[in-house]
Amino acid sequence: MSPAPLLRLAARSAWARRLTLGVTLVAIMLSTALLLCVERVRTDARQSFTQSVSGVDLVVGARTGSVQLMLYAVFHAGAASNNIDWKSFEILATHPAVEWALPLSLGDSHRGFAVLGTTPEYFTHFSYGEHQTLAFRAGAPFANVFDTVIGSEAAAKLSYKIGDKITLSHGIGSANLLEHGDKPFQVVGILEPTGTPVDRTIHVSLEAITALHLDWFAGAPVKGVAIPQDLVSKFDLKPKEITAALVGLKRRSDVFRMQRFVNEFRGEPLLGVLPGVALDELWQTIGLVERTLFAVSVLVIIVGLAGLVATMLASLNERRRELAILRALGAGPADIFLMLAAEGLLVTTLGATLGAAMLTLISAIFAPWLLEHLGVLLVPRVLSIAELYLLGGVIITGMLASLVPGWRAWRMSLADGLTPRS
Amino acid sequence: MRVSLFLTSICAAMVALMTPIAQAAEPYKNTTWESLVPKDWDPAKEFKSLNLGAMQDSDPRAMDALSRMKDTWGNAPTERSMDGARIKISGFAIPLEMKGDKVTEFLLVPYFGACIHTPPPPANQIVHVISKKPIDSMRTMDAVTVSGTMGLNRAESPWGTSGYRLAVDKVEPYKLPDGK
Repeated sequence: MSPAPLLRLAARSAWARRLTLGVTLVAIMLSTALLLCVERVRTDARQSFTQSVSGVDLVVGARTGSVQLMLYAVFHAGAASNNIDWKSFEILATHPAVEWALPLSLGDSHRGFAVLGTTPEYFTHFSYGEHQTLAFRAGAPFANVFDTVIGSEAAAKLSYKIGDKITLSHGIGSANLLEHGDKPFQVVGILEPTGTPVDRTIHVSLEAITALHLDWFAGAPVKGVAIPQDLVSKFDLKPKEITAALVGLKRRSDVFRMQRFVNEFRGEPLLGVLPGVALDELWQTIGLVERTLFAVSVLVIIVGLAGLVATMLASLNERRRELAILRALGAGPADIFLMLAAEGLLVTTLGATLGAAMLTLISAIFAPWLLEHLGVLLVPRVLSIAELYLLGGVIITGMLASLVPGWRAWRMSLADGLTPRS
Repeated sequence: MRVSLFLTSICAAMVALMTPIAQAAEPYKNTTWESLVPKDWDPAKEFKSLNLGAMQDSDPRAMDALSRMKDTWGNAPTERSMDGARIKISGFAIPLEMKGDKVTEFLLVPYFGACIHTPPPPANQIVHVISKKPIDSMRTMDAVTVSGTMGLNRAESPWGTSGYRLAVDKVEPYKLPDGK
């Protein structure tokens, strides 16, 4: 028999058993969607992770672990063990090999979002992704002490607009026990989304950080001392300490010598790390979880395909007569084999395609919700090359698996089908 | 007859097409790290006047000379003839810029652990490699062989006025010379 009518026959036969095959199809669809979803989250997480900082040659902080320094200076997670003296920063910033240096002062928070004290140059020099600089959705960099520029996610979650007055609180965390309530800040700029920790950051000037703590002493507000906002400018707001610094060099190949200069700095113990190397280290630690997730989703696919094989093997019994009649009408064992293999291929291909379509649809529908509630930036997109490979892998594995029932059918004799024992 | 003519012309076209490819693949010159140091540069030049043999180890002049020698070596200049050279060189990679798990910029250094356990290599022993095409799965300190066009990256720095920059065409894992 030629293949075309045979395939039509196979499709009709499959349609006749649509309920069992339909359930198998759903299983394959769900497992494919899961596999692709894990792959997508994995690459997206890695992408946004490595995209968090770009064009920075050295991250400098007090001496600690390189991963910890990266975590607090770039991801604003965890706390610094110590600060850097402003004088050390000035020496670093004026070093002849340094093109620019950005001071970072961390430790305060606003409703769970990190407050970063820095200079207006931050908005021109800091870059993420592939050398993309920060862009303003509205407003401009801060010019006055009590101006603030907020990241897109912080702005969306707290629904702040330009001109809003906000209050900053001391310490990291969302419980605003001690607020700097007497010195409200004004929102002057809102940044475009970047998919990096910048989105969850409130940016203020370094002077603002000093001003916030003017009437604080030994970690608590001094009783009876309250400096009104209009008098703050009378004080010397020059920062005395910063938490970390980002350094860009004139020539990137000087980075090891600059790193050595920082690590051997005489004034105080400092640590300089190459962001690329530290991110690599950090990712290798997290990579284990990522690989485990992937292995689990591969197992789910195998379970789905095993279900397909089981259904088809079970169907062989009920199709005994059907297949025997086909044989009696002149179909050879090879034709029967082809029919079953085609059925397996049809179900896996359909399942895998529907799974991919389902994922695309779901990620398009739920992307805004995910960004708002989990802070995960899912870019709705068509399948990537790696995902196409995975999809192809699923289909090929499914086809190979359906060879098993095909082989069984091949081996079934004509007489066996025509003389059922039952 | 016509068929053979057709075949001949196809062969001629293929030869014509392949020649420039073969020429383009050829000129990556295998380069060693030593050749990145200018030949006419003599690190001991300014110490010729000192008679180091006549000094004791603890002589302050000898110690001063040693520390100056270190500085001089640190500020070793770059080889001008390398500007625009198409070279192939092997070394260890340290990623600078990443796109997902792919690397777009890295530094190439001649020895493992350079820059972390010992004083960093001089400016002319570090190559800043830039790749237009992101490179897959590169880890810190992977041994690689890169082929590309060398350029001098001029900028004032306490460690000399120029360094090497390589626009890379091809990055491959390093293989031992005997093919193991």
